[in-house]
Amino acid sequence: MKSLPRKIKGTILLFVVLGSVLLSGCAFKDIDKSVFVAMIALDVSDDEEKPYKVTLKLYEPTGSFNEATEPQYSYLSENGETLSEAIRMMESYSDKELEFGHSKLIILGEELVKDNKNKEILDFLLRRPDIQMISWIAVGRPNAEEIIKMIPQGESAAYPELFNYFDSNGTTTPYIVTTHLFEFRRNIKESGIDSVLPIIEINQEDQHFEVNKSLLLALNKEPLELDSLDTSIYNMLSRSVKHANLLIKEEGDHFIANIDTVKSKYNVNIKNKSEIQLDINISLYGSVAESHKPMKNKDLPKYNEELKKESEEKFKEFITKMKKNGYDPLGFGIDYKAKVLHNRRMSDEEWMEAYKKAKVNLTVKPGIKSTGSIQ
Amino acid sequence: MSRFYYYLIIINMVANIIASVPAILLHYHNDGAIISMLLSIAAGVLLVTLYTKFFLKYPGKTLPELLEKTTSKWFYLPFVFVLAVLWFVAGLITLITFTFLLIRYLSPEMPIILICLTLILSVIFGCILKTDRVMYTVEMIMIITSPLILFIFLKAYTSNSLNWDFVREAALYINQVPNWHSFSACFFLFLGAANLFIFNRFFTDKQKFGFRQIMFIVLISIGTLFTSYFIPIGFNGFEGINDLVYPWISTTDSIRMDYFIIERVLFMFLLFYLGIAFLSILIHWYAAVEFLKFTFKLEKIKYKDKVIGIFLPLPIFVAISLYFVTVLTEYQLFQYSSYFYDVLVFIFPGMILLFTYINRRMKNEESSPEN
Repeated sequence: MKSLPRKIKGTILLFVVLGSVLLSGCAFKDIDKSVFVAMIALDVSDDEEKPYKVTLKLYEPTGSFNEATEPQYSYLSENGETLSEAIRMMESYSDKELEFGHSKLIILGEELVKDNKNKEILDFLLRRPDIQMISWIAVGRPNAEEIIKMIPQGESAAYPELFNYFDSNGTTTPYIVTTHLFEFRRNIKESGIDSVLPIIEINQEDQHFEVNKSLLLALNKEPLELDSLDTSIYNMLSRSVKHANLLIKEEGDHFIANIDTVKSKYNVNIKNKSEIQLDINISLYGSVAESHKPMKNKDLPKYNEELKKESEEKFKEFITKMKKNGYDPLGFGIDYKAKVLHNRRMSDEEWMEAYKKAKVNLTVKPGIKSTGSIQ
Repeated sequence: MSRFYYYLIIINMVANIIASVPAILLHYHNDGAIISMLLSIAAGVLLVTLYTKFFLKYPGKTLPELLEKTTSKWFYLPFVFVLAVLWFVAGLITLITFTFLLIRYLSPEMPIILICLTLILSVIFGCILKTDRVMYTVEMIMIITSPLILFIFLKAYTSNSLNWDFVREAALYINQVPNWHSFSACFFLFLGAANLFIFNRFFTDKQKFGFRQIMFIVLISIGTLFTSYFIPIGFNGFEGINDLVYPWISTTDSIRMDYFIIERVLFMFLLFYLGIAFLSILIHWYAAVEFLKFTFKLEKIKYKDKVIGIFLPLPIFVAISLYFVTVLTEYQLFQYSSYFYDVLVFIFPGMILLFTYINRRMKNEESSPEN
């Protein structure tokens, strides 16, 4: 550094100091003076005047991991006329600063979602700059508070088990939908795509969570619950999972296909100004996981035929169900808009009509490659 | 061309991704933004070419020096002063935008004056350096920050959450009447070349500026504009996009890095953009100080045989910045920077007339040096 002129030295020094000041994200507040929020739960309260109930799960600070063999959390809960009023009240219950920046999961109570309060909730969650837009958002059944207050068996300290369901790093099943806050916002605002939120339930006896259903939210419509099969089909179509299981029951054969690669393509085929067709192509590759009777390797083409028939039926059923009721979780509406110049598009109502009447052209390309370790 | 020339151009383009340019563009997302972008690329590249060709003719000469030779005093003194104001305001916009960002996202409890002052302090001493030292600082910080910023862009492009249908939907708004404000905001991206007014002092060697160099600038500008306009739309949808006050901040907050030290990309992005913003303010304010030096002959102001003149503009800069950072609201900042860009669209192409005038006078001077 000796060779540099003093002015440059000064500049560099200032830059380093500036950097270190800005790197400390807590803005001059000691870390033991703030408490980190792990999850946020939003519910409807019993109070007429204060309709919102906010519950926060807070990490309880411990000296070291060795001492903390069990996960420790504390909870704050408050009703409020608005969400931020409840948060403001809670700040007076805690001796430390509530830090929302590390919260990774937002759970909405089922009732709250069905009350159609999405606008207010979103406004609160997005307006606060410290709430991450990459946090996951889910629906809690029967309510959000119970979900965040439950600590399942075998949970490790400092990392709530519930996160593992969504970060596609722990469990990967086709039954879990992962929705980030920014996706939720985007799909709620946009006409032409509807958002899907996972539903978290509690198995009371065994003390664990069950995440295998989802809730489809559409503008000006009742939320529609997707059961496990529909959820997995949605996941396969929207390319968010690679693995799936399909039960095949055809012509006396009864087996489960274990799909390890799913490729799907879907788009809108515009026939004329008011008529469209939905083209969906899916490739399913995998092997057989379980069968009720012995299988023969040379019969694989036959099994593939059966897989094709059965899965086309199931996928078609799903699409038809969505279409009939005017739900659009896959975003065909956006795909249509991506193909037609803005001044030649049909209006939203015309599009809904066309979408409901649209023909579905669905093909499955089956690819069972093996019968597993035994024939 | 020398690589330092490209730094000047690139910094002005890239720094504005985080400032108000994307916000202005996205505000007019269904009102002719696309076609304005295309038009501005054509106009901007033409401007960059003309500016560069002009200054290549006079290696090592700054615009004030050329004006002094060819025009009379009543013209060039006020003119250069106006230039100083323009450059100062350009830097001020970046400074205030970044201060607002920092207080909103990084340290909401810090007083805004303090944040602004930390930024200013790091820049202000750069303003009195020698030109070559400024250029070396620029290069150093570019080398440190650009790989990570490019990595974040790559991460954004390859993300599964980027829905290309939204991008195509937005692109199909092409058949509209261009919008004036979006055009001028885009046009501002190309004004990096105007920094040659002062920084041409650094380029003393004869250089080549041909088709390949122009194509390179076209490619960079298309890349920057495409990224800064379409990536936020791909992540945040088309219809609600103008609700976002800082579209790029929300966009980087929507990118998740599973296996990185920090999961939330937003903080890394802010930190590395701090470097780019620092450079942008440094370049603008450096030029502003140089213009002021020329107008008021600051180097001649001495106190006990020490030149104190060059320090005189600095307290004024600090005072004006601190005043505006406390007074302005986000909406005013958005509005005023939009007006500022509108004004520049008239001023900078107008300079080309001045250039032809200078060219003619210089030719006369060369052909008859005795007179």
